[in-house]
Amino acid sequence: MTVKVGDELPVLVKQPTTRQLVQYAGAQGDFYEIHYDQDYARGVGLPGVILHGLLKAGFLGQLVTDWLGDRGTLKSFEVSYRGVDMPGHAYACKGRVTRVDGNDVELEVWGEDEAGKRTTVGTATVEMHA
Amino acid sequence: MSAVASVIDRLRARIGVEGEPVTGVVEAGHVKRFAQAIGDPNPRWEKEAPPTFLVALAPVSLHLSEAEEYGRGWLNGGNRFDYLAPVRIGDRISARGKVADVYEKEGSSGNLLFIIFETNYVNQDGAPVARLRGTMIRR
Repeated sequence: MTVKVGDELPVLVKQPTTRQLVQYAGAQGDFYEIHYDQDYARGVGLPGVILHGLLKAGFLGQLVTDWLGDRGTLKSFEVSYRGVDMPGHAYACKGRVTRVDGNDVELEVWGEDEAGKRTTVGTATVEMHA
Repeated sequence: MSAVASVIDRLRARIGVEGEPVTGVVEAGHVKRFAQAIGDPNPRWEKEAPPTFLVALAPVSLHLSEAEEYGRGWLNGGNRFDYLAPVRIGDRISARGKVADVYEKEGSSGNLLFIIFETNYVNQDGAPVARLRGTMIRR
């Protein structure tokens, strides 16, 4: 299957829960209270506990590796967190091919909240196997 | 000198100073729990580490208690990973981090302090496997 500019990655929809945030906190070793303690999160001005930025990066990493399979190698992956996301709300991961230069492929990836706002945006570069 | 300026000066003095290397083995059980936490069932993670796993192996931001004198909370601004070689289960990875930059910026609801961290990961053969650049924000 040839990769071409404009190709869309199959959408990956996540349904994060507070339980998942605790699970992720343990797996990464990030115990910052804003991810599991509602009072603490509100105390620092957040609407409640929020998803770890790196959990959202993990979702987008899954989006890319699911699409890529064993057709190529991930060379770089970059994400910016533009907004907070809360458990109990669907989080849709999307992406598309923005550049193809021989075996080098560039992707635009992003995560959307339920209102369609891109709260995480990023890029990935992959080298397709010849 | 204001308290804020002094915090920023002290943090800026850390720019470029590398921390002690932190070494960890990429354990099958740890990678499995990490992939499960993301909800990623790809059987590939039985043999290698998923793209963001290295953040679980060593602290990604040096503990800068001084920075906590600024603002009231941390925000993650972004992460960039560069992959140089595969990270497989059983690899012994050394991570070495440093502060790459510190600067203050005006935000829509007050000033923000940006701290850029860089971590280099090397495997048991001394081969660089990845670089991570992270932007942490105090607000």
